[in-house]
Amino acid sequence: MSEAKLVTVTINGVESQVPAGELLIKAAQDEGTYIPRFCWHQRMSPVGMCRMCLVEIETPRGPMMVTACTSPVSDGMVVDTESEEVKKAQEAILEFLLANHPLDCPVCDKGGECPLQDQALAYGPGESRFVEIKRSFEKPIPISELVLLDRERCILCALCTRFSEEISGDPLIEFQHRGNTTEVNTFPDLPFSSYFSGNTVQICPVGALTAKPYRFRARPWDLQKVESSSLQDTAHPRIEIHASQNEILRYTGVDNDATNHGWLSDKARFGYEYLRSDQRLTSPLVRRGGELVEVSWTEAIDTAANRLDLIKSEDGGEALAVIGGAQGTNEDAYAISKFARVALGSNNVDARLDDALASHFLSASVDRATIADIDDADTIVVWAPDLKEEHPTLYLRVRRAAQELGATLVVIHPRATGLDDRASHKLTYRPGGGYELLDELANGDHPEVSQAFAAEKVVALVGIASHADGPQLAESVAALVRRKAVHAKLMPLNSRANTYGALDMGLAPDLLPGRVGLDTIGCANLAASWGDIPAVIGRDTRQILQGLDSGEVRGLVLVGADPINDLPEPSIAVDALDAAEYVIAIDLFLNDSNRNADVILPASGFSEKEGTVTNVEGRVQKVNQIRPAPGQARTDWAILDDIATRMGVSLGLASAEGITKEIATVSPAYEDLTWDSLEWDHRDGIVVPIHGAQAINHIPVALQGSKAPTAKLTLHVARVMYDNGVRLQHSPSLHKLGPGAVAHLNPGDAPSIGARDGHTIKVVTTRGEGEFTCVLDEGTPTGVVYVPFNQQGASSLGSDPVVRVTTS
Amino acid sequence: MSRWSEGTQERARQIIARYPEKRSAVMPLLYLAMSEEGYLTGDGMEEVGRWCEITPAQVLSVASFYTMYKRERTGQYLVSCCTSITCMLLGGDDVLHAVEDESGVPHGETDDDGLLSVEHVECIGACGGAPAVQINYELIEGVSPEKARQLVRWLKKARPDVVNSDEMQALFGGRTSFDWGISEKSGAIGPYPAFQPLGTVGSEAAD
Repeated sequence: MSEAKLVTVTINGVESQVPAGELLIKAAQDEGTYIPRFCWHQRMSPVGMCRMCLVEIETPRGPMMVTACTSPVSDGMVVDTESEEVKKAQEAILEFLLANHPLDCPVCDKGGECPLQDQALAYGPGESRFVEIKRSFEKPIPISELVLLDRERCILCALCTRFSEEISGDPLIEFQHRGNTTEVNTFPDLPFSSYFSGNTVQICPVGALTAKPYRFRARPWDLQKVESSSLQDTAHPRIEIHASQNEILRYTGVDNDATNHGWLSDKARFGYEYLRSDQRLTSPLVRRGGELVEVSWTEAIDTAANRLDLIKSEDGGEALAVIGGAQGTNEDAYAISKFARVALGSNNVDARLDDALASHFLSASVDRATIADIDDADTIVVWAPDLKEEHPTLYLRVRRAAQELGATLVVIHPRATGLDDRASHKLTYRPGGGYELLDELANGDHPEVSQAFAAEKVVALVGIASHADGPQLAESVAALVRRKAVHAKLMPLNSRANTYGALDMGLAPDLLPGRVGLDTIGCANLAASWGDIPAVIGRDTRQILQGLDSGEVRGLVLVGADPINDLPEPSIAVDALDAAEYVIAIDLFLNDSNRNADVILPASGFSEKEGTVTNVEGRVQKVNQIRPAPGQARTDWAILDDIATRMGVSLGLASAEGITKEIATVSPAYEDLTWDSLEWDHRDGIVVPIHGAQAINHIPVALQGSKAPTAKLTLHVARVMYDNGVRLQHSPSLHKLGPGAVAHLNPGDAPSIGARDGHTIKVVTTRGEGEFTCVLDEGTPTGVVYVPFNQQGASSLGSDPVVRVTTS
Repeated sequence: MSRWSEGTQERARQIIARYPEKRSAVMPLLYLAMSEEGYLTGDGMEEVGRWCEITPAQVLSVASFYTMYKRERTGQYLVSCCTSITCMLLGGDDVLHAVEDESGVPHGETDDDGLLSVEHVECIGACGGAPAVQINYELIEGVSPEKARQLVRWLKKARPDVVNSDEMQALFGGRTSFDWGISEKSGAIGPYPAFQPLGTVGSEAAD
């Protein structure tokens, strides 16, 4: 942002220089004068509804009372926020607000952290003249699965309704009625089912909106708090973890410019229940005679190490492999990388689960866009998963850029997405037919889109929009964008929260820590601390699984990964894990992929360990610990270090902070990173630079590729926010929020199939079939069947877009 | 797929075409929805939301703010008695009580036959001819309690298909404030025809 012009204002007799045009309430706050307020929020446009921020400014006609939240500062403005008149006004407003407010603070969740309570104490009259009967309502009423509403507490500041309209774009709550009967509510039987509903609870200045998972569970002054970054969103929004007696009770969003502006998706906000699940693995398990039995760590490590050592000595490191590492910290990922290369002697290691972009594209494309670049962009191109479903923080940022900051938004996706209502141009294509559209764009067939590409600042968010599109399509899209807009910045998108950190730590068969390839000089740098590194590029996840099936890979270590439920083609994983000779799993829970493992080792999860993580833009932030891991669970790095030691190889990993220091020495991109700097000087994190990256447009990329199948119907499978992933399965508040086994059809396609809304239909592909509840939906184009991925009760359909739908 | 008749849909298109943004058409479309079903149903409000591209909650917010959007079934004749200050000073409350007493319908309610609804309303802009009463939003000024009773009896007995301000003014009214302009031979609220003649939502208003 350019240097704003400064103007001089005098606030309570003190002169100061503030940016011209800034709202008085914000300017005063930045200068150290707090003006009380309820309805003003720095991330939303002002409305001046609550009248709490009345101040006096001097005018030629004498002092005038204005609302500070709607008054921009001007040069020479003289403001009094503490005059007798202002105090009288503040007392009057509070007396009015408290006329109907129940003052049930002792039983209200907000008590102790309540702006109304605090400001009534600080600015209120202390007594009320109101002796009549206060408003009362049925209470509480659930307005969604997660949010409860106590209307009598509401002071009608409209923060929640404005958030849902201005910020998240799903205004399902609104003011209703008028005058003394005004209330906030939903439309009857149409719940506030927003992915962002929890934010309204956080910004509510009274206890009117409360979150079901937190309600009545704690008093704010009893909570321990620590700042961290959410790993349930690829942008790693900054959060505060609140815990009591070692149990996490809630996450709140921390307002920072870098990532989330304080907002969190409900998945990131309420996704902590799994940590306290009684299904957590708490002691090491070893399979004996077909049964898993609890053993000591010594015995488990011994068993695992002996077998890995045996396979290594018989068939070499190529017969061993590691899958996973995208859910933990960078330190864990580094340990996995070092363990695979040094202890196992193998490059068969992959944090991606066969649904990701190529490693060099993800971690080494030049001109990578930062989240802040989205704000500055003239044109934003989104050819990616529906951001609202998979990248909620980016969704809010892109939405804001298009809505408030004037960016031209181009959205390309096989069906409707959450951004469509803000898109200047929307193109849809048949799943699997992305290359045809790419060809059209290359030929300039869509002039309005070409024109958008011609802008000065172009940011493109590219990813795999549909399982029918291969990962190569995204690279071709990037290449096309770079061809059309030479200075375009790219943001490659991938699911799973710390994939970027994992790749930076070398969790790909062709990468080493620090974004260096196996064949570069970086390899030599690393050799100094790692010793010899196997030179052959290893297997990626799909090849590992195929190797397990064929017997070429004999031993597998799964670290926090569930390929059976996460792979677009799960049958590959099912066959591979069936055939696998030896599987060691390090995880929080038993899941479909590790249930039959030979050794299962309990791992500590989020908030149970410290470390660093790297988000979608390459921003490294610190995550912190607030509770101990349950039972005997340990960190991934400590477990792997022990196994390596028992195999006779020292990895030299002694502490998470020690690993961060080691990362800094071996990885040029991470050389400046220390825990101290992240904790004190850079709480919002540091974007690590790209070293030695290749420009995407130098990589030969075909613009031609597969064509869409000519079948009448094509299948679009895509991830949605709530799926049947193992952590959501163990989060009772979120688990039921998924759409379940549904298949969306355009109403125009329904008659020929005989499908009816809400009835069961059978969906058949070459890879699978299953029964789904039919949803008729205008957002799904004709000729497309849309099935949300990995849902409770849904069978897998694979990624082949050819599909048949019948009614029986 | 609209639940409205083709004719109503065409009216909706005409109305929306007058505004730079679809959502601006929410109020006339609410009248349209009301005339379609006689009152505003949940389905009707959802339909308005689809036309205006706003959520049903936003439609309800507008609909519930204004008392003249009826969200409950209203009798064939809606009797609105003004009790704001001028009418009150000149006996508006007595007129209301007379209507309630004669009809047996307390204000805010509808009789069992669905014939009469009685309500008291805030100022309807006829202070010069207070106390004022509206039948289906057709105005009668200078109404006395006795005339109000006659009015109720007439509605129950004559059951006119459409009520008309001039006609009722002549029969039951008194002092008027001023000439209210051209006479229209139809009523204002449904069952119909709704508002069209006054141009509130009609295409005529644009001409």
